[in-house]
Parts: sequence; C-alpha cells; structure tokens
Amino acid sequence: MASTELARGRPRPRPLSPHLLIYKFTITMVMSIMHRITGFGLYVGVLLLAWFLIAASTDAVAFSWFTAFIDSIIGRLVLFGFTWALFNHMLGGIRHFLWDAGYALDAPAREQLTWATTIAALVLTVVTWAIGYAVR
Amino acid sequence: MSGKAGGLRTPLTRVRFLGSSLKGTSEAWTIHVTGLANVVLGLYFVWLILDLLHMDYNGVRATLGRPIPAILLLAFILSGIVHMEIGMRSIIVDYVDGHPRAWALIANTCFAAILALACVYATLRISFT
Repeated sequence: MASTELARGRPRPRPLSPHLLIYKFTITMVMSIMHRITGFGLYVGVLLLAWFLIAASTDAVAFSWFTAFIDSIIGRLVLFGFTWALFNHMLGGIRHFLWDAGYALDAPAREQLTWATTIAALVLTVVTWAIGYAVR
Repeated sequence: MSGKAGGLRTPLTRVRFLGSSLKGTSEAWTIHVTGLANVVLGLYFVWLILDLLHMDYNGVRATLGRPIPAILLLAFILSGIVHMEIGMRSIIVDYVDGHPRAWALIANTCFAAILALACVYATLRISFT
C-alpha cells in the first residue's frame, strides 16, 4: 500500500500523537502545568523585587512610589499572587525532589502528595498574609 | 554521542549540528541545586519581607544594609535568577521554533542578566551608601 502511494509521489500522512487535551485531567497533570505557569509568573514577578530594591537604594520619595503601589488594591493582588506562586512553585519543586529520590511514585501516593503540596501552598499563602496583616 | 561515524545519526543531522548539545546534565544539575537553595533562601526572603512590613524607609534601609540580610538577599537574587533563566529557556525551547526561538533565548539571557545586575547593584548600594 505504501509503495503504491510512494509511486504516485504522494506520501501518506504521518501518524500523530494524541493532543494533551484528549486525556482525562489528573491532579499531577494539572499541578505540573501550574508549576510551569507559576514559574513563568515568578519570572515576571522578580521585576517587583528589582523595583523594591532599586527604590529602597534610591531615596525616600522613590520608595514611597513603590509602597504606594504595593498598598493599592492592584498592588496587593499582585503581591498575593506572587506569594501564592512562590509557595506553589516551592512546594511543587519539593514534590519533584521527592519523586526524583524515588518516593511517592505509586498511584495513590503521587496523587496524595500532589494534593498535599497544593493545599499546603494555599495554607502557607494565607498564613503569610495573616501574619503580614497582624504585624503591620 | 554526536556525530560518531557508524552511530545512529544520519549524515544530514550531523551536518546540521542537530542533536544533543552535551550540556543537558550540567543544566539539570544547576536547576536542581539552585532550586534547593531557593527553598531555603525563599523562606528566609518571605520572613525578611514580613519583618520589613512595619518599618519606615529608614528602617528598611538599615535592615537591608546589615550583613546577614544583604548576603542572603544577594544569594537569593543570584540563585533565583540563574534558576529562572534555565526554567524560561526550557519553556522557550518547548514552544518556540526557528528564528523566534533564537531571539527569545537571547532576550531571556539579557533580561535575566540585567535583572540580576540591577538587584545586586541596588542591594550593594543599600549596604554601602
């Protein structure tokens, strides 16, 4: 069959692997995607750290612009998102270290571990902000 | 190994320099070591920011200008930015092809380098001025 198609000069379409979205979503899959997205978010978020440090190194006026942004609703939402992305990516990284070391690779364990790190990241984010509002 | 005569590679892929760059292991090792460092330094960073929250400008400067916060902050900046540069490189090579890939990789390296220099410069300036 292939030889007749080759003889006609028209190659048979190559087989394609099924696309990502054909599969059922699992927590390990979703959090793997979230790990990349939060990593991307932190990459952009480091601009905020640079702004903070440059403003602090400049003078009180430059620093007041930074604190005015961070104190605004948008600034707080961005910082809250940054906090969650940091903890989610941090705990996701620890999850990958555990898998690399050979732990929690079985079907129930890997799902439980992924749920645990996901929930722990949310809890750490909320606790950090609670401490932040308490000490402020 | 690349380009060895009698290997599995075709002559065309050898001519096009396709295949392994032989840098993968070192890059994987670096992203793991910086990732581990970022766990510790990142937790310290969160603690440091919480500590700075109630301070005014002079308090923030005085705290960041002390040796231990400054050194740990510099370590976090360098470890974090090396980590994110490699991470973004893997995102780029997954989703971008051809000439845009080359430009994206160049932009990634330049962005990371400028950001690292800016953060290090500012941190040192807080300590020394």
